[in-house]
Amino acid sequence: MSYKIGIDVGGTFTDFLLTEEDGTSHIYKVLSTPKDPSIATIQGIEEMARDRGLTTEEFLGQVSTIVHGTTVTTNATLTYTGAKTGLLTTKGFRDALEMRRGIREEQYNNRFPNARPVVERYLRLPVAERVDYKGDVVEPLDEGSVRAALAEFRNEGVEAVAICFMNAFANPAHERRAAEIVRDELPGAFLSVSTEVVPAIRFYDRVSTTALNAYVGPVLTRYLQSLIRKLEGLRYQGILLIMASNGGVISPEAAMDKPATTLLSGPAGGPVAGLAFVRGQGYEDCITCDMGGTSFDVALVKDGKPLTTTEGSINRLRISLPMLNVVTIGAGGGSIGWIDEGGLLRMGPQSAGADPGPACYGRGGELPTCTDADLVLGYLDPAFFAGGRIPLDLEAARRAIDEHVARKLGYTVEEAAAGMYDVINVSMAAAVREIAVNNGYDPRDFPLVTAGGAGPNHACMIALELGIPVILVPRESSIFCAAGMLRSDLKHDFVRSYPARLDEFDRDRFRALCREMRDEGVRQLAAEGIPEDRVETHVVLDLRYVRQYHEVSVEVPWDEAVAADPEAFAARFHPQHDALYGYNLAEKGTPVELINVRVTTVGRTDKPRLAPEPLAGEDPSPAFKRSRSAYLPREKRFADVPVYDGMKLRHGNRIAGPAIIEQVNTTTFVTPEFSVVVDPLGTYTLYLKEREDEILRRVLG
Amino acid sequence: MSEIRIDKVLVSILQRRLKSITEEMSIAMTRTTRSPILCEAKDFVTGLYDAKGNMLEQTENLPILAFSLAPVCKYIIEYFGDDIHPGDVIFHNDVFSMGNQNNDVAVYKPIFFEGELVAWAACKGHQADIGGAVQGGYNPQATEVWQEALRIPPVKVIERGKLRKDVWDLIFANIRLDIVEEDMRAEIGSCVVGERGVLKILERYGREVFEAHKEHLFDATEQMMRQEIRTIPDGVYRGEATAYYDGKNPGSEYTIRVTITVKDGEIHFDYTGTDPQTPGFVNGTFTSSASATILTFLQMVNPNMPHNEGMVRPIQITIPGGTILNAAYPAATTYGNHLCPNNADAIMRALGPVIPERVTAEWNELLCSLSTGSDPRKGGEPFVDIFFMGMKGGSGGIYGCDGYDHIGMIDASGGVLDQDYEMFEQQTPHRLVRHEYWCDSAGAGRWRGGLGVETEFVMGGENVKVVTFGDGDVEPARGAVGGKDGTLNVIKLRYPDGRWYTCTSKDLVENVPAGTVYFQQAGGGGGWGDPRERDPAKVLRDVRNGVVSLEKAREDYGVAIDPATWTVDEAETERLRSGEAETRD
Repeated sequence: MSYKIGIDVGGTFTDFLLTEEDGTSHIYKVLSTPKDPSIATIQGIEEMARDRGLTTEEFLGQVSTIVHGTTVTTNATLTYTGAKTGLLTTKGFRDALEMRRGIREEQYNNRFPNARPVVERYLRLPVAERVDYKGDVVEPLDEGSVRAALAEFRNEGVEAVAICFMNAFANPAHERRAAEIVRDELPGAFLSVSTEVVPAIRFYDRVSTTALNAYVGPVLTRYLQSLIRKLEGLRYQGILLIMASNGGVISPEAAMDKPATTLLSGPAGGPVAGLAFVRGQGYEDCITCDMGGTSFDVALVKDGKPLTTTEGSINRLRISLPMLNVVTIGAGGGSIGWIDEGGLLRMGPQSAGADPGPACYGRGGELPTCTDADLVLGYLDPAFFAGGRIPLDLEAARRAIDEHVARKLGYTVEEAAAGMYDVINVSMAAAVREIAVNNGYDPRDFPLVTAGGAGPNHACMIALELGIPVILVPRESSIFCAAGMLRSDLKHDFVRSYPARLDEFDRDRFRALCREMRDEGVRQLAAEGIPEDRVETHVVLDLRYVRQYHEVSVEVPWDEAVAADPEAFAARFHPQHDALYGYNLAEKGTPVELINVRVTTVGRTDKPRLAPEPLAGEDPSPAFKRSRSAYLPREKRFADVPVYDGMKLRHGNRIAGPAIIEQVNTTTFVTPEFSVVVDPLGTYTLYLKEREDEILRRVLG
Repeated sequence: MSEIRIDKVLVSILQRRLKSITEEMSIAMTRTTRSPILCEAKDFVTGLYDAKGNMLEQTENLPILAFSLAPVCKYIIEYFGDDIHPGDVIFHNDVFSMGNQNNDVAVYKPIFFEGELVAWAACKGHQADIGGAVQGGYNPQATEVWQEALRIPPVKVIERGKLRKDVWDLIFANIRLDIVEEDMRAEIGSCVVGERGVLKILERYGREVFEAHKEHLFDATEQMMRQEIRTIPDGVYRGEATAYYDGKNPGSEYTIRVTITVKDGEIHFDYTGTDPQTPGFVNGTFTSSASATILTFLQMVNPNMPHNEGMVRPIQITIPGGTILNAAYPAATTYGNHLCPNNADAIMRALGPVIPERVTAEWNELLCSLSTGSDPRKGGEPFVDIFFMGMKGGSGGIYGCDGYDHIGMIDASGGVLDQDYEMFEQQTPHRLVRHEYWCDSAGAGRWRGGLGVETEFVMGGENVKVVTFGDGDVEPARGAVGGKDGTLNVIKLRYPDGRWYTCTSKDLVENVPAGTVYFQQAGGGGGWGDPRERDPAKVLRDVRNGVVSLEKAREDYGVAIDPATWTVDEAETERLRSGEAETRD
């Protein structure tokens, strides 16, 4: 037997997907342990072993691959609990990190404060040195000023050091020498050097990415080392891979080397999983939304490719590394309901998380959460939450809602719970609208793949708010990102600057750069167990017309790249410039220049199989459990609603809303406007009743 | 037209979509232009307008340009009448037909759907040169428009899709830098991006649905603005502020006077009584001054309001001709955008006492420079750089929040960015030495002003000229409700022979030799509220970070700090903050 495990550490739950060679899969979920997230990770593995009557060591002996997504770097940045970090930077420029080029994102809002930097000014220390715009030394490195700064860092107990010097992209010698001194003087410190993290022009982008990389370095290193130690202690000998923000996976060594690549990796497994499920129904586009305990993440897939960006940010701090484009808001099952100064009902962004958790968990939480409202409205069964492992206390939920919301509004508990449900749904719908509309798409043209423990209870109302006609709830929705991780490929991104006009550039030098990066990728992938015949190489050239400031990223096939024909590159560039920016200068004969060469090496991994089920007919009655009273939001009343056991529903079964479909870790509430049909992968396909003919054709053929 | 049922979700989608199209237009400009003024600092605005020229949405990187686009669109529609066709592209910069500044050159592109004019896409950016006597356009010696710029009243450069080569060449024969031609192509490209986006909406929903939902959006936005205005007590409020030095007569002063009438959800700004226009270029145009009024007021209302025709309907603005804010033909006016800070002060002084918690203390006023010359590193290629990073001082504090550090002039409010340091050194022959927060520049307050910055660079190049324009070197940003004032602006040059020269606020310095050191201080914003009520922990943080000195902490904030332990001396602080310390002073 050879198992693979996807593990996704969330703010509230740690999710596991265990797959067997034949494609059979099993879902596990344990409460997260934020102080040391590896505790929950090991707990889940122990549980899997127990279920198979094996010791943990015996079980891990049969596991070939563990793919692990962690949000420790994300959380450290969002909550400003990263390492105490010092920045060494060229004298005269210590404030670039905090100034962020003087932007205020909300121009008309005078109460919008600047983003807090990850390194306070007193730890941003000047180094006397200078190279000019072409990399020539203007002022040699004053090693004394480096040592003086390091003495200060030592006094302050600095754990991580970032180095970013002016124009180092053109000559990294001073940065390299300063790095050596840091290794000598502060050997225990985590070191982040700008020309190793992002060797490209633009000082602010580089200093910001380098500082973030340092800030989260010790946190990630501590966490992964502790996890690796624990797995080694349990005699695990398979492969461990870490989810990265670019939607690929990397080795733990690569992650610890460049921790900033994991900063937005939490939701990065979602789009890959979403695509696998919608493809079964013939779609190449989808919007995925994942509602966990703490946050709601939305991503968009168009023509089979998730949207990506190299101009990402976290908390308004720039990260110029490639990453998936994901919109995240603070809305989840743990989101707390409260009344603001103006008497308006608000939900979140504060979350009760796993500890103390919603009031109904009975773990000491006293504030009313989204989960408490869902329980009062009848969408959750108090005896069947997490398969009955977390009994829910309905009275505690009612008390919390009554005290903190209902009485302040003069509402009944049920009215208050319905209000909480509405408010959070509208915020989540706005996030879905944002990612679609901001990228020029109409959300109504996309199926909505809904995931996360809490998502399917809210999906119909989000879809109704936006007019989205189709919702897909995969069987694995509660551990969606964990499922996506097992379907992700290994992926390494490289960049080299080579500014040269295409009519003057050195073909051999260009080829050498491409091959150098590809070789580095192949080497890294080999270390991660990927043979060369499973490596794909993607080349992207950053091109522009001479004297422009910014580039267009043009994808070029590998063979064409190494042919290094400038005419061919220009021929790809002109139409893309036109499509993006409304004009091109091909006819005018304006020369095109190259700035950066980017190579991505992808190591294809074995994906778990998806096993389609045979068609079983329309009748869902074998899965019928009972009826219970649940609230119908548009009709504003409670009604008796049939409840089905999701694991007993079969391909082709049809249910007209209102209905509730229960699985161990997910409850799907189907409002009266929707019906459901089960597809061959067991995915519940919810559709607006007026679209029935079209959807049944698609799902049933 | 048949009855269209209004779908409220579609109204909000329409608004967000129009907004996102203007953002895409803005991205197209940033990504394809050559002049750092555009691609780095984003000194431009993109917008969409309906068939009548009403604002649909805008992306307002620099709001002082923003509220002139709709008036010019309306002017163009009237000017050409029925002579507007698919494929037309129109240029405009003329300040005597609703333009705001000569250098801010606009492109308008009519959008046709099924043969009918349905909308306009427009883009207006600050071009690096626009002819006139001085490269870069800022000419403190100018007394009439022709000494400043080439005037471009509405002119079709492309007609029905065909380039009018003769007209194009006539225009660019009168402009010094060839990058301006390329950057105007980028403006046209931006409008094409806008046109494509609007056509997608129309193809999807049809004209009737679009029109009906647009009207609904305007009405809803108007209601939102009226609600906001109703939160200000009805009444008549007056304020005034001084603009210093007209560039001709040292020591000259001009007063801006505004009378604000709030009544029944409408607001009227009347500038009757403002001083006459100046003999030089320190003069506003109607739209630069009206933009200043609108952008200042928008900071006092809900910042999440959509920007469209409905938003401006309840706002009325009267500016008599012949005044410093609305100079009569053929005055020189290139400076006009920069009267915004003075205009904003007059408005804030009028409304501050009425809604004190919604009005900031005063902002650092702009004092800016630009340098021109040729770059020997690039075979003598000419360069023009507006030194944005040096001029960005602090904003005023407000109840509940400190001022924003290094945000820059109120007319941009953080929308105009510093050049990236490394790109600056690629693009100009200068070498930066220093760009950092200026210690003790922020006006003390319970909520302090934003910090100013100090900048220094070594100038390179040949035939280099430095032009300065601005204010704030005579009167600092004033504090509010007991807060203290910010610091003054300074620009100085140190020549290679060691001689210092302090620039005036409207200066033209020629033949600046390579090796000259340029030194600038952009002042901090005013503080809000009594500094002795500021949380001592915040004062400690500022002192530790070296942006407030130990002495100022003591004198202004009444906080004693021990620099050996970085702790607040509670007993001494209490003594300083009680009455006895006051008498000691």
